[in-house]
Amino acid sequence: MFILRNKLNFLVVVIFIASCSSMNVTEENVYSADVSTVKVSSSKSENINYDSKAVFANATVYFDFDKSTLTSKSIQTLKSAVNALNDNSAIQITLSGHADERGTREYNLALGQRRAEAVSDYLTLNGISKSRITVKSYGEEKPAVYGQDEMSYSKNRRVEIN
Amino acid sequence: MKKLFFLFLFSNITSSELILEITQGTEDPYRVAIVKFDGDMDIANNLDQIIKNNLARTGEFAIFDNKDLLSIPKDENEIVFNDFKILNIDYLIIGNVLSDKSNITAEYKVFDIKRGSKVRSSTVYGIPNKNRQLAHYISDGIYEEITGIKGVASTKVLYITEDDYYKLVVADADGKNEQTLLESTEPIISPAWSPDSKKVAYVSFETGMAKVFVQDIASGKRELVIQNSTQISSPSWSPDGKFLSLTMYQDGNAEIYILNLKNRNLTRLTKHYAIDTESTWSPKGAKIMFTSGRSGSPQLYEIDLRKSNATPKRITFEGNYNAKGSYLPNNEGIVFVHRADTSFQIALKYFDESFIRPLTTSQLDESPSISPNGNVIVYAIKDEGMGLLSGVTLSGAKFRLPATEGAVREPAWSGFLR
Repeated sequence: MFILRNKLNFLVVVIFIASCSSMNVTEENVYSADVSTVKVSSSKSENINYDSKAVFANATVYFDFDKSTLTSKSIQTLKSAVNALNDNSAIQITLSGHADERGTREYNLALGQRRAEAVSDYLTLNGISKSRITVKSYGEEKPAVYGQDEMSYSKNRRVEIN
Repeated sequence: MKKLFFLFLFSNITSSELILEITQGTEDPYRVAIVKFDGDMDIANNLDQIIKNNLARTGEFAIFDNKDLLSIPKDENEIVFNDFKILNIDYLIIGNVLSDKSNITAEYKVFDIKRGSKVRSSTVYGIPNKNRQLAHYISDGIYEEITGIKGVASTKVLYITEDDYYKLVVADADGKNEQTLLESTEPIISPAWSPDSKKVAYVSFETGMAKVFVQDIASGKRELVIQNSTQISSPSWSPDGKFLSLTMYQDGNAEIYILNLKNRNLTRLTKHYAIDTESTWSPKGAKIMFTSGRSGSPQLYEIDLRKSNATPKRITFEGNYNAKGSYLPNNEGIVFVHRADTSFQIALKYFDESFIRPLTTSQLDESPSISPNGNVIVYAIKDEGMGLLSGVTLSGAKFRLPATEGAVREPAWSGFLR
């Protein structure tokens, strides 16, 4: 991370309004704010666990609009996830929730979180320790597919297990 | 009453910055003659264009320039009021600009044609090579003189762009003079100005998870406001700048908390198994409005902070999606995202009316932000996957700030800076 500093411009604003026979007289100084640019890159090396990657390649579950309930198809996917986690007791997983682009960004962030929590709840109810699971959301910020149709939207309402 | 319909198009400005385009003006504008300023011609030409664009963008003015006028007064002794009366002009503006290496000074006068008298005489001391800022100050003085309302040409807008990087950008209210505050490889969302417009709070995913940061605009100094392992988002400043309301996911669910920025104490505001997020403060700080899914669909609720253990009160009932509310600065109503059938629009509801007023008509409108004078709402639209910024005034004028590169979204309007 480094910081670029722009040079400083002053200022004071003086506004005085004198009213003489309904005429406004004003005098003022232009103020110009200083702006600095900060650059950051992802500080975390995403902690990729290749064992878990191998086991769960493409493990993604999908949801209905504005819903965080698991569908029967999702439960099928999660059953194999539970088996794999039981077979490989060392691996840690991250559940990343996502939403489609409709609706507001912060509500979608919360919705993505609920979806990831729903998956987490299923896994823990089926015997997986909560300490092995990290839950987070990207909301609508990282779509799997770009496009403004139901087909694209349905692919974006998801939780990725990795 | 004069009924006129105006269509302004400024398509000759090409750069990587946002482009101003007025798509529709109000039906009964003030008719204003702006004579090109006398003095330094290069600066005068530059000011002339910026001032006219600023006033045109409000949708409240029909602007007459030199070529439309019968006489072109250089100073007040040369004004023939009748030449302007014939054209039904309401106000005349003349001025001059003088500059040397270290100083730039503009003087301008506003005349009320019907009364045949001078109503304003102003001097603005500018900064060399910052003509835009000088022009914005003059625009705001003219706007205030004529409408009686403070102008917003000298204010700023924050927004997020996504191209090769995610950027948090600040620009003048006309989309020009873009400067990057933050550039990141990871998403940035929810920018929010501090009330003094010196700092900005936002959500950055740079640590691998949503976290709220506060950054000083001038120095670039930034801080992670709460250091813990949970996801944190949706910051909003209290009007006195002492508190930040935000959404924390401590229990795995979105709940609203208030952070005291001085002693870092956290107070929990909501407790419900549904989503509670997008908190925002009323203009005097007495209430917090937020989006909650507790009724089964996203709706807006209010909590009265003056009462202890106050229960949230639902305030939107029309439709099955009402979210991300903001209060009008005069506290007479709210602006929010509303779903009508399948499209998401920006809507306005006055507290003394029982119905909502849709303000926009595209398919996916979001992130409305209100100008500090309460007259204009800037918002983001999605068009063919591209994000663009649009504006609508409460008087009915519409304008667009189309992006020329990358997607632009989540505009946030500053307070008054002048």
